[in-house]
Amino acid sequence: MTMVSLASTAATTTERAADTSASALITCEQLVVGWNRPILPPIDLTIRRGRLLAVIGRNGSGKTTWFKTLIGLRKPLSGRVVKARPDLRIAYVPQVAQLDPILPVRARELVLWGRINGWGFLRPFSSRVDREACTRALAEAEATAFADKPYAELSEGQKQRVLFARMLATDGELALLDEPTAAMDPVAERDAYRRLARLAHEKHLAVVVISHSLGVAARFADELLWLDSEGQKVRHGTPDEVLADEDFREQYGDVHVAHAPEAS
Amino acid sequence: MDPTGAGGMTWKDFFDAFDLFKDPIYCAAAAGFVLGFLGVYVLLRRMVFVSAAVTQSAGLGVALAFYSAIHLGFAFDPIYGAIGLSLITTTLLLADPQPRLGITRESVLGLAFALSGGAAVVVGAKIAQEANQISAILFGTAVLVRAEDLRAVLIVGALVTVIHFWAFRGLAFATFDPGAARVQRLPVTALSAVILLSIGLMVGVSARALGALPVFAFSTLPATAALLVSRRRMRLTFLLAALGGAVAGVGGYLLAFFKELPVGASQTVVAALLVPVALGARGMISLFRLGLRARA
Repeated sequence: MTMVSLASTAATTTERAADTSASALITCEQLVVGWNRPILPPIDLTIRRGRLLAVIGRNGSGKTTWFKTLIGLRKPLSGRVVKARPDLRIAYVPQVAQLDPILPVRARELVLWGRINGWGFLRPFSSRVDREACTRALAEAEATAFADKPYAELSEGQKQRVLFARMLATDGELALLDEPTAAMDPVAERDAYRRLARLAHEKHLAVVVISHSLGVAARFADELLWLDSEGQKVRHGTPDEVLADEDFREQYGDVHVAHAPEAS
Repeated sequence: MDPTGAGGMTWKDFFDAFDLFKDPIYCAAAAGFVLGFLGVYVLLRRMVFVSAAVTQSAGLGVALAFYSAIHLGFAFDPIYGAIGLSLITTTLLLADPQPRLGITRESVLGLAFALSGGAAVVVGAKIAQEANQISAILFGTAVLVRAEDLRAVLIVGALVTVIHFWAFRGLAFATFDPGAARVQRLPVTALSAVILLSIGLMVGVSARALGALPVFAFSTLPATAALLVSRRRMRLTFLLAALGGAVAGVGGYLLAFFKELPVGASQTVVAALLVPVALGARGMISLFRLGLRARA
């Protein structure tokens, strides 16, 4: 059972310098996740500001279990998840399919939920500051045009942009996204990843994304975390390092890294 | 409007005896309003069966109160039986038996529903002298409402309304996107408990006053109608469902009065009629929007 941090052994000098300057937001210390019994080896990992981390692996590889444990929706079997501060602001974007399609709610209202934190809901109506933040987030996510439409009537790509706007509205320091591009076409998917990378690099957020799209994830992510519960393997490092890993290549073979024009 | 019903009752008769009827009408309006509001949670959380099980439990609670008074010599107000059993069922539903017992919440619901329904009939058979009361509880055949039952409905209804108005944003967020709400540090478990306890309490007091059948109807049908009409504004959906519940309560009572029909069944029928009315309204709204688009 192995957890190999490839980044620690092979990162370039520049990347190491970037890592040092970036501050740690969440650290997994010997974290063991699972349902009654461990499904992966213990994981040591630090999630830092300004980095886009893509979590990859096959169906049932333990991605979602690790993710849920990271954000506190599940308890670790052993080890721990250490937050930089107890009041660390986290934004979570569920899969589009997790929100009920019959929910009678406008996109704007859904984005406003991103402004609710802790016991802050004990106010019957949202404040002007919240509404302004919501409007800004919708504009930034290019979702203003359909902000007043019922969420249920939006296309999958539009729904994803609304959830992305909600993530921005939280003013979170750490953004966690569960398969955000699951129902998108390749162009929309590339744009979504570009937006996430910009969020990490320009707004200096830590972004963690679960992905099935190896090529696009490898193109835009700063780090990859590959999980394989069947082979009891965990690999963490830069995309080049993970894609070159022997065990990874045994499962996936050569991965074509998507190259896309810089401007969307 | 023809003031004379088929049963010969007129609006004059109604207003002449309004002092007699005002309590059940206020009670039906208040219970319909609050249960209609809560019904949106019931439907959107796919908890219709929860409402059915809690309502059945309330019926059993009342039957047990009569049984206790007659056969055990221990008398307590049936409303406490209704509230007690409703809350026990609600508490059972709050627990997730899957990790420990390997059975789903639906199994617990099935057990609560079947056991409560069966036990209410069995207990009812042992208190034949109170058969009318049991029938009133299960099907809402009572024309009048006791003052203490009205008071309980008004107090619990007001409490639930204030809490839900004040915490609406949190309750909605935690209910419809619990994962994100938990990450944003909302007390999701507590908010979920607030909703279930609101349903348990309101069903308990309303079932004693109005009967299980109309209570179940109020907690599902007005919300169905509201969801058909309002698809983009959540607050409006809740408000329409609440108003629909109140209309069903009062309208059903009036229908029963003028046509000399059983009250609870009439309230249930009026609540059900809201659904085709909403379907018609939805069709009209769609046509209106198509017209606007064509003109643009």
